[in-house]
Amino acid sequence: MNFKIDRIILIIFLGITAALAFLPNFVESEYLLRLITVVIFWIGIAGCWNMMSGYTGYIDFGPVVYFGIGSYVVAIAMTKYGIPFFPSLFISGLISGSVAFLVGIPTLRLKGAYFAIATFAFAEAMKQIALEFDRTFSVSFFQGSDGITLPISGHDNSFFFYCVLPVTFLVVLAHYYIEHSKFGYGLKAIKEAETAAEISGVNTTANKLGAYVSSAFFLGLFGAIEAYWITYITPSDVFNVQKTVQMVIMTLLGGMGTFLGPVVGATFLTLISESLGARFVEYYLIMIGGIIIVAILIMPNGIIGSLKIRKKLRFI
Amino acid sequence: MKFGALAAVQMVSFSLNPGEILGMIGPNGAGKTTLLNCVIGIHKPTSGKIFLNQIDITGMKPHKICRMGLAKTSQIMEPFMAMTVFENVLVGALHGGRMRMRPATEQTEKVIELVGLKQYAYKLSGSIPVPARRRLELARALASGANILLLDENMAGLNPHEIDEALEILKKIRNSGKSLIVIEHIMRVVMGISDRIIVLNYGSKIAEGFPEEVVNDETVIKAYLGGKLSSLKVA
Repeated sequence: MNFKIDRIILIIFLGITAALAFLPNFVESEYLLRLITVVIFWIGIAGCWNMMSGYTGYIDFGPVVYFGIGSYVVAIAMTKYGIPFFPSLFISGLISGSVAFLVGIPTLRLKGAYFAIATFAFAEAMKQIALEFDRTFSVSFFQGSDGITLPISGHDNSFFFYCVLPVTFLVVLAHYYIEHSKFGYGLKAIKEAETAAEISGVNTTANKLGAYVSSAFFLGLFGAIEAYWITYITPSDVFNVQKTVQMVIMTLLGGMGTFLGPVVGATFLTLISESLGARFVEYYLIMIGGIIIVAILIMPNGIIGSLKIRKKLRFI
Repeated sequence: MKFGALAAVQMVSFSLNPGEILGMIGPNGAGKTTLLNCVIGIHKPTSGKIFLNQIDITGMKPHKICRMGLAKTSQIMEPFMAMTVFENVLVGALHGGRMRMRPATEQTEKVIELVGLKQYAYKLSGSIPVPARRRLELARALASGANILLLDENMAGLNPHEIDEALEILKKIRNSGKSLIVIEHIMRVVMGISDRIIVLNYGSKIAEGFPEEVVNDETVIKAYLGGKLSSLKVA
């Protein structure tokens, strides 16, 4: 246990975040600022998945549901009840977290593939609910497949940069906490051997639920920010399984259950698809698929995960 | 305890006194492990009750029972592979002992010293030899601060020299005021260390008493020791 190195890594991370906070003052190009915002956005989302699935080993295949709930809550709160953005944002997180709490109690009893299937089914079910709820009950909440148009923000790109940065910062900070706390040791013990964890005194239900709810809380915030940014949401967009897949792939590429895994994975994948997408419009998806396959073959534990094993590091 | 229609353990009643080492023996499949798993809450008994200091703990969640001072080591070793030996023990101290990080770290250091795992402390628990893993199981249970330890074949697979060392550790633990239930097939261990022994066969208790009584019991000899007493060495 070398807490000194861990502290240094934390200080470097804080320094980079602080430096990033001044970035919009120096970056002239709107494109570059948007790209950086997207990278930070994906680091945060992939981090949410890693918090839950990376550390506990419970593969959540429906995290997008909390993202979608966040989007819809902010949209309904702003358009129907006229609540300003920041209070709505906070409500989104709370509601996502509360739903996760209720869903987590039954689903977290399931193990392995069954948990993955249950979470996936829940996400698909929510998409259908958002599509059909209004027509079935003759009310006006989700607006079905018409989607909801949010008030045009009139904010420039730096506004969203400053929305995304603190949330991602908190997500990564939560990773640091997990790696160094009682809670985190509980999660890691659950991943390794759940029964052994239980008889060693780990309250497995509470620990899993804690990870699941915090992951959902942050996903709700991201969903809300994206809804306000894009200003138009539909069920098939915000509950799109592609988002889930992307979170999973980014985390796997970076390394599951590692501090820097989501950061590296999300940055790598976003930048590569951006640069390849601009140059090879027609073939870039094939190329990305190839790159992912090669990366996983060479580094089955992800970039950071493999580095950790090779260099025998405990924390990175 | 029944699994479906099969009764794995039935009509067994026993008690453990403070500071005592209770040996538990019986042929394979007699229900020893199942019995202890009922005690620590892994299985919920279909009938019967378990009391810890007059408190009914039947059907409680394993983590609660562990925090009340009852910890078990597994026959099938289940270390948290991706963690170091130190971190494995730390989990026991943090969660089982309900401690904060700093006291838990101190507790972990003490326990690792006690069971003699110091040289492996910062190795990954998946990479250490079997005797060390057996001690790790013991250390994890100890770190939780439990007053009663249930050791399920904690010495299986050890050579005679390693068994001697393990026995020394058990005596140290007993002298620190803890009670133990020891399941073991190695007669030298059970006979040498137990204050009392109970014998299980086909899920029922067939004998109980002091070690020398039990080995002379006709039913026990027939069921378990399998024949002549002369072939048995009592240490």
